[in-house]
Amino acid sequence: MNLPKLSKDEIKKLGLSTMGFIFLLYAYFTFFLGPLQKSRDGTLAQIDALRKKIDGSKGEIAKASNLEKQAKESTVRFAALKSLIPDGAPIAWFPPRMKTFFANQQIDHAVARLESNTSFKQPELTGWTKHNWLIELPQADFAAFGKAIADLENAEPLLSITKLSIHVLPNDPQFQQVGIAATTAIEKR
Amino acid sequence: MGLHLNLLHEEILEQRQRQRDPLKIGMLVLAGCGALLFIYYAWNAYRTIEIKTRLSRIAADWQKFEPRVTQAQKRATELTNIINTTRVLDDYIDNRFFWGPLLEKLSRCVPPNAQLSSLEASMLDAERGGGISITIDGLAAAREPRSAAEDLRQMLLEQLGKSYFDVKAEFKTLEDVESVANIGGTNMPMSRYILVITFNPNTNAKPAATPPPSRTKRRSSSNESS
Repeated sequence: MNLPKLSKDEIKKLGLSTMGFIFLLYAYFTFFLGPLQKSRDGTLAQIDALRKKIDGSKGEIAKASNLEKQAKESTVRFAALKSLIPDGAPIAWFPPRMKTFFANQQIDHAVARLESNTSFKQPELTGWTKHNWLIELPQADFAAFGKAIADLENAEPLLSITKLSIHVLPNDPQFQQVGIAATTAIEKR
Repeated sequence: MGLHLNLLHEEILEQRQRQRDPLKIGMLVLAGCGALLFIYYAWNAYRTIEIKTRLSRIAADWQKFEPRVTQAQKRATELTNIINTTRVLDDYIDNRFFWGPLLEKLSRCVPPNAQLSSLEASMLDAERGGGISITIDGLAAAREPRSAAEDLRQMLLEQLGKSYFDVKAEFKTLEDVESVANIGGTNMPMSRYILVITFNPNTNAKPAATPPPSRTKRRSSSNESS
């Protein structure tokens, strides 16, 4: 193939055109198409992330709805347990409650004292505190006391008796002096 | 064939040179490429705008959805906490030791010729087996007062063994005392005992459904003499 002979001037012009073409391509990809692609890719990634979030969230809502059905029994039970705990400091309501309880069982002069309170070891009970009480019954008939203890254990599910001490009254063997160490689980408020 | 003379040779050559001017051709090619690139850019820009519109639509959907999701997540956490707490509380409640039935059994085991003067009972720590330890201090009166105390121990072993595990009942002290008890008009020698009972509570122990017994009266003071 015979290429036309190019003059010096023509070669210069051809070089200039080539340089112009290269510059055009560089400017096009660097300043126009590149950022556009970048922005598009970013937007697509955002869309992807949002879609994943929405799909995951639909699952979360369904899960919460299922959990609501499953937790019905637990929720009712939890509310029932919470309803056993009056508002206010336990030291304010527990001793009078015990006094009234034992008075209703024909055991008078019951005194409850707070010994200590500690946290539960279980992580699920971080919102609950263990209160250790000492309940003293200076004069109790064994039969009435036995009935009272059984009733107390039934009426106060969050109360657990850890120690029991029964002594005959020296002057009146018909009656006993009773000490009860009990622990109660009380929700922190 | 006639002879043709080209008298415009120079002009034609100049025109040809102008036509194949590389700068001009280069500019034309550049403009062409530029136009193509612009069209491609415009197409891409259009698609990007479309994608951005889609993003804003999805973002608007998410904005509507997000509060519900946050609420659902919060509720799910709350419910999970309630379920777990209730489970642990139920364990706590179920693992309690019920003293009512124990007191009932104790009262049923004590014969008329034995007296319990004190009872100390406590739950052992979980590290120590989590059992129950009871110390009973009392008096027994009979012709053979030690046998009466032994009968009480046997009775306790038998009765407690029905409901609890690993029942042990041992005398810490069993000694005769000077005093005598008047039972049915007869003076009986007495012995004092300290009985230590240990057992593991039955995990299925339930609170007493019925009140404990009434048969717990101590011997009347008339039966006692010191």
